[in-house]
Amino acid sequence: MFRFDPFSPEIDANPFPAYKVLRDEYPCFWSEEANMWVLSRYQDIVMALNDWETFSSAKGNLMSEMPGRAGATLGTSDPPRHDRMRALIQKAVMKRALDHIIEPAHAAARARLEAVKDKQPFDFVEDFSANYTVDLIAYLFNLPPENLDTVREKAVLMVQSDPLTRTKSPEHLAAFEWMRDYADTLVAIRKQDPGEDLLSQFILAEIDGEKLEDREIQLTVTTLIMAGIESLSGFMSMLMKNLTDFTDVRDALVADPSRIPDAIEESLRFNTSAQRFKRCIQKEIALHGQTLKPGDFVCLAYGSGNRDERQFPDPDIYDLERRPKGHLGFGGGVHACLGTAIARLACKVAVEEILAIYPTIHSIEQEIQWMPSSTFRSPLHLWVAA
Amino acid sequence: MPKVIYVDFQGNRSELEIANGMTLMQGAVMNGIEGIEGECSGSCACATCHCYVDEAYLGHLPEMTENENELLEGTIGERLANSRLSCQIRMAAELDGIVVHLPEEQ
Repeated sequence: MFRFDPFSPEIDANPFPAYKVLRDEYPCFWSEEANMWVLSRYQDIVMALNDWETFSSAKGNLMSEMPGRAGATLGTSDPPRHDRMRALIQKAVMKRALDHIIEPAHAAARARLEAVKDKQPFDFVEDFSANYTVDLIAYLFNLPPENLDTVREKAVLMVQSDPLTRTKSPEHLAAFEWMRDYADTLVAIRKQDPGEDLLSQFILAEIDGEKLEDREIQLTVTTLIMAGIESLSGFMSMLMKNLTDFTDVRDALVADPSRIPDAIEESLRFNTSAQRFKRCIQKEIALHGQTLKPGDFVCLAYGSGNRDERQFPDPDIYDLERRPKGHLGFGGGVHACLGTAIARLACKVAVEEILAIYPTIHSIEQEIQWMPSSTFRSPLHLWVAA
Repeated sequence: MPKVIYVDFQGNRSELEIANGMTLMQGAVMNGIEGIEGECSGSCACATCHCYVDEAYLGHLPEMTENENELLEGTIGERLANSRLSCQIRMAAELDGIVVHLPEEQ
């Protein structure tokens, strides 16, 4: 009997063969291990993303949720309150508002590369992407310069779960609590001394004449830090993995750096780090012969929808020419990733700087250790050399 | 079915029949019209479906919400008096023949 366990190391390592079985034979599959339905086809996932009234985010959106989080963050709220909260941050993260980050991003990328220039091979994750994303988020959110290493360490732990218990282990929960406390100190600092930065806008804003609840601010700030540091670093590492796995693509980008955005989009489609999120059914719905009842959880497997040949022909080929419109690499619907412009800019700058000094960057022989996370997929290390 | 005419930034025209109730963003994205992205699938959360509505039809459109108004401040293409988000424009009989110009970049 077919089984699909999104918490298993096998799925962390390579979910794609299982996704294909799901799409072709069990398009609405009940996973006992995850205790939820799994939607794997592109059309079904898009339908769910656009029907928040049936597929609610308010009971949690991460495959393994952290306590107290559901209902208190942007990603775990439904409209209409969600829309009001999102509007507070949306403007500050749109492409047009990010010109000020371009130079700092270049400077940060160059500095991190300079720091490892004599280290061959170097670990793209630990030596570059992890630090570069911390630099960017620290700049964007005006974080205090102390203990940024710890901030990063906790962000990485927060997105992981224990493959055996299928929940957050004490270590993961402790990291989450640390980040919540950190968010509290940031909020306190901003309230005392508000600035122009993104966090200040969110912390001090009002909806319908009321300030956001402390819990909402704390948990959303926690999420923004986690997303900006860990999700972004994870995706950037997948992008570099693709460029070193497909050296013809790397060479095409060296020859014509204006194509870097195309490589980013195809990476988002091919193997986005944001593989699986969840929703909670609010109204009974029948799908592919199954009845989903209120209270049931549903996994939306973005990583599978992105490989659905019903939407993307020859889906298992990484094709620089593809220009995959409508890919699910950033999710979709009202909760579509808030950081899309930041992510695209950060990745474009990083790849530009890296290929400029290492046009033949390649990965060395290694066994990839995948992050144990039911939601995200990225390597813990990626050893590369010039 | 009522018609929409999409004109891209280079002046290329595409005339499409779009069913009543469908948004101009959906009409574009589902018919392969380049120049409209619609990243948030029409949730009024991204501003990548920006279009310039022909003057003759501007008055027939539903009033802009505060949310749309704020998002239009963030479009890549310059915001003009006839800028709207195409995901907020639903096709209807009185919009038959509507012409929308698409910006160079979303």
